[in-house]
Amino acid sequence: MNLATYARRNMFRRRWRTILTIVVIALTVVIFSAIRTVVVAWSAGADEAAQDRLATRHKVSITMQLPKRYIDDVRAIPGIKAASWAVWFGGKDPKKRIPFFATFAADQHTWFDVIDEMKVPAAQLAEWKTTANGAILGDVLAKTLEVKVGDRLVITSDIYPGDWEFKVVGIYEATRKSVDRNTMVFRWDFFNNDPRASFSREQIGWMMSRVSDPRKGAELSRQIDKIFDERDDQTMTMSERAFQLSFLGAFSAILKAFDWISVGILLIMALILANSIAMNVRERTHEYGVLRAVGFSAGHVRGFILGESVLIAALGGVIGVALTVVLINGLLGPVIEESMAAFFPYFRTPPSVLLMALGLALALGVAAAVLPARRASRLKVTDALRRLD
Amino acid sequence: MTTGSIEAGEAKEAKSEGGAASKAGAAAKEKGDGKGKADAGGPSIVTLRKISRSFQRGRETIQVLDGLDLEVPAGSFEALMGPSGSGKSTLLNIIAGLDRPTTGDAEVAGSNLSRMSDGELAKWRSQNIGFIFQSFNLIPVLTAAQNVELPLLLTHLSSDERKKRVATALRVVGLEDRMEHYPRQLSGGQEQRVAIARAIVNDPKIIVADEPTGDLDRKSADDVLTLMERLNKEFHKTIFMVTHDPAAAERASVQRRLDKGALQ
Repeated sequence: MNLATYARRNMFRRRWRTILTIVVIALTVVIFSAIRTVVVAWSAGADEAAQDRLATRHKVSITMQLPKRYIDDVRAIPGIKAASWAVWFGGKDPKKRIPFFATFAADQHTWFDVIDEMKVPAAQLAEWKTTANGAILGDVLAKTLEVKVGDRLVITSDIYPGDWEFKVVGIYEATRKSVDRNTMVFRWDFFNNDPRASFSREQIGWMMSRVSDPRKGAELSRQIDKIFDERDDQTMTMSERAFQLSFLGAFSAILKAFDWISVGILLIMALILANSIAMNVRERTHEYGVLRAVGFSAGHVRGFILGESVLIAALGGVIGVALTVVLINGLLGPVIEESMAAFFPYFRTPPSVLLMALGLALALGVAAAVLPARRASRLKVTDALRRLD
Repeated sequence: MTTGSIEAGEAKEAKSEGGAASKAGAAAKEKGDGKGKADAGGPSIVTLRKISRSFQRGRETIQVLDGLDLEVPAGSFEALMGPSGSGKSTLLNIIAGLDRPTTGDAEVAGSNLSRMSDGELAKWRSQNIGFIFQSFNLIPVLTAAQNVELPLLLTHLSSDERKKRVATALRVVGLEDRMEHYPRQLSGGQEQRVAIARAIVNDPKIIVADEPTGDLDRKSADDVLTLMERLNKEFHKTIFMVTHDPAAAERASVQRRLDKGALQ
């Protein structure tokens, strides 16, 4: 036997209380991890944005378009390696109701050079350049729409009338997990030449540029915007990360709320654990008096209480982490990635979140025991011995 | 007395005929109906000088002990009696280093307790005092052997050495066959004997007992008192016992009476 034996044995003295406390901690860890996973997955695109890429949109709003000729001005700026453009189409499947997916028209010659995390086989890319109504889809979207290379695909748009017929010429793969595999890209010239898009003729939605030196990104952004300052349509250029975050802006309040919910959940966990430990300590005050009488110090008593609390928290934390891995990474994640691919292309709890949840559980295990441990260790031995169970 | 003395005593007894605690008790009775003196009369192991202890209850000061002097010779078995509220337990707590006097000096086992910090007192108790409580106070989640081993966890003894001492202590109290039993699996008398084993496992100089027979039936109480007599006579432990029970007090070599904070 050693000193830890006593702390360990005490843990299951009130078996159901301890089991329920461990269950609550485990569930709290799962909920906390799930919320952090949503926050991490939601902003993964922004977090993993390329450092050497700038995005330029209309100064007023992303919904307003820019003249296509702006791309030439941008390309002419020293320090800009490459630039491409796209326009939002807002496609949807006319046959069946499927979850939202991104659809845009882009320049077939430059788009996949600038957005190189969307990998298209060379042969398919070559075919895209020679097929006017060619479309390239993410593998998840292709699966959802039940199409493969060579198939005919008809989609409609929220913005442009009628059925739009395409030929699937390629399937892109993502080189990073955070890249949306639920996107459809087709040729801008095909879109621009269609009379149904006449009100957008020679217009583009946004430009993406690659810079030679990422450290000069801010300076180049200012240069780009300065060029168009005196034109009818002014621009706003920003890093790709800022561009991604601007889409998340509408949801920032929700994400902020999630942060507060995380904090609230941790507080609840700490209070439940503290209550459980306080009850244990109150019931054992007499016993701690006996231990003190036979020579154990106040520090020993503090150690027993802290040790027990940390053990319970650690057990709950480990079970919670294991449950998170099984429930989110094993079961829920793949389902969300399938059904909500546009929002959560990769929905798995990262190890950093699991470690944070476990670390916080342990830290709160200590915090929850501080007060009861302090009280028990400060009690006079004679007073403790007078207390009845 | 060294920590090995209980083991040494055990070995000696095993050689002589009859090692049972009851024989020692019978011997004590033969000496004079419980009044036979132990080998007391040596130097004092407890010296209290002008001890006062008062407690504050709201605005009222309650004087429990008032200028009390006491000397307990090493190796004696003393019983302290008195009505409830007379200060018996307070006096016992001061001797055991659980409480400090408000004024006066308490010198026990060669240390002046009045000048020791809480931490020093805890260490001192673990080396010098064995406790026997009325309600046994065993830890319910630990076996008899583990309960006895508890005070040894504060020493630097190896696990094997601790096990040896635990076995010896339990053999002294006649419970070597109950080592792996939990307190709930023992009778009241057996629990108190385990508590006594815990009290002697560190080979303390003094054993303090607060109503050791208060929760026991007559037969178990007799067994426990016989065991205490044996610890006093054979192992030369100084025993200071607080009791309400005249029959228990009869078994001690010295009986004292405390009333209104003063020894009669």
